[in-house]
Amino acid sequence: MDDRVLVFDSIGQDFPSPGQRTPVRVLDGISFEVDRGKFIAVIGPSGCGKSTLLHMAAGLLFPTRGSVHHRGHNVTSVNTEVGFVPQQAQLLPWKTLFENVELPLVLRGVSAPERQKRVTDVLRSVGLLGFEQHFPSQLSGGMQKRGSIARTLVYRPDVILMDEPFGALDAQTRMVMQSDLQTLSVEAGATVIFVTHDITEAVLLADNVVVLSQRPSKLLANIAIDLPRPRNMFEPFKNPGFDAAYDAVWTEFRSQIQVGQIH
Amino acid sequence: MNEQKAINDVAYQSSTASNGLAAIGSKTVQVAVKLLPGIALLIFWQWASGRLIKEIYVSKPTAVIARLYELFASGEIYPHLWVTGQELVLGYVIGVAGGVFAGYALGRSPRLARIFEPYVMAFYGIPKIALAPLFIIWFGIGIGSKVALASIMVFFLVFYNVFAGVRSVDRELVNLTLVMGANQRQLTYHVFLPAAAPFVMLGMRLAIPYSVIGVIVGEFTSSIQGLGLFIHEASSTYDPAGVFAGIVILLGFVTIANLIAGAIERRLLRWRTFSGSGPIDA
Repeated sequence: MDDRVLVFDSIGQDFPSPGQRTPVRVLDGISFEVDRGKFIAVIGPSGCGKSTLLHMAAGLLFPTRGSVHHRGHNVTSVNTEVGFVPQQAQLLPWKTLFENVELPLVLRGVSAPERQKRVTDVLRSVGLLGFEQHFPSQLSGGMQKRGSIARTLVYRPDVILMDEPFGALDAQTRMVMQSDLQTLSVEAGATVIFVTHDITEAVLLADNVVVLSQRPSKLLANIAIDLPRPRNMFEPFKNPGFDAAYDAVWTEFRSQIQVGQIH
Repeated sequence: MNEQKAINDVAYQSSTASNGLAAIGSKTVQVAVKLLPGIALLIFWQWASGRLIKEIYVSKPTAVIARLYELFASGEIYPHLWVTGQELVLGYVIGVAGGVFAGYALGRSPRLARIFEPYVMAFYGIPKIALAPLFIIWFGIGIGSKVALASIMVFFLVFYNVFAGVRSVDRELVNLTLVMGANQRQLTYHVFLPAAAPFVMLGMRLAIPYSVIGVIVGEFTSSIQGLGLFIHEASSTYDPAGVFAGIVILLGFVTIANLIAGAIERRLLRWRTFSGSGPIDA
């Protein structure tokens, strides 16, 4: 059986730029593969088109050149086989937490008793039982984020696309969320593409770190991280082999950071 | 792990539980404070009438109340009430329905919006009151012309609010819902309509006084029956008590409509009361 769930095949993307005749080239010939059950972190400087890759996998945007294949099919329309966790939690403010998490199941025509069971299960696993009837505005940022992740896990998508999901959280909440995400994704055997600009986060969470360059982005390296799991998210440097793995990513990434230059 | 979650994720509990007696006490005080300026105004009116200004010009509260009683006791006002009530309800409902429909359609379709928005904008600029005489010619002297006038005033207000509301829906929210598996109908039901609901409600509230203005202006211009006609006749026969009695009845209409709209709003927009942007009236 083919283990490749998602294949990015020499992706190129141009965006029209305001005030200029020639479009801006954002992505330039990016190719990598995502195997089933793997956790892939995509890391690159800001504005390099990391999120664009996720939008392509979700079928919300189509590459100017190259193609994205999901289980052998070219992605040419909205891809409902994937789950998307955005930067902001983006729960619907007019629905309670329960209704928010239930929504994908409602949209997919899952029966009411089944919905009740699955939503309760997933809320338990992200630690939000007891908050079912709260509206998002009554929840803290971290809880909203858990809700957002629960809403994706509940329909068991084939691939979970995460776009800097923890970027807006405070440092402590972030570590807890990283730790929980590791547990959840290992338990669910989920395939994850995780976009971030944080090297530590990428190394701690991922099986593979894909490093992109500055615009127009090329793929600099695809580095396998062979640290044993579960990894300690709270004290990164206590993970045996962390230094070497971090160094491997940093060596590729350092060329993309110009010290003293304003972005 | 669970303890850590509890520490990091403290829910913002809504402070709905306030202790009983204090709440009742403060509520009475609130109502009293609200009523005070109105009562003061009535007392001043009563006192000033005949002292500062001739009663023939401004009447006085007791005379207005007497007149109201007489109008209802004799049944003289009922045909007027019935006609104006019909015009208000019809004009309002047609205007709101049209505004919601058109606002939603143009809000969802950028192509339609590009074509039609300039036209709507241009028509919005026309002072609708200037259309009253034309409407009498087009729709007759009966309730048709008043319904048309009221609904066109209501339409534009509701239209712009709904249009703006639908357009303000976060694109990312729409994309997420599509990836979750929504079709267009589900997208409308779960995302666009609820997102536009606060704007629809705002438009509906703003439109209430405008529907009254539309109807009364229509009746002033030309009519067989209605409160506008009644007020018009009272004023042309130097009957200020009659004019004010008519105005008080209109006030009643607007107040009742506002209460109904407020109740609907609280029901529909329950989720907003938690974020501090709920309805402003108590």
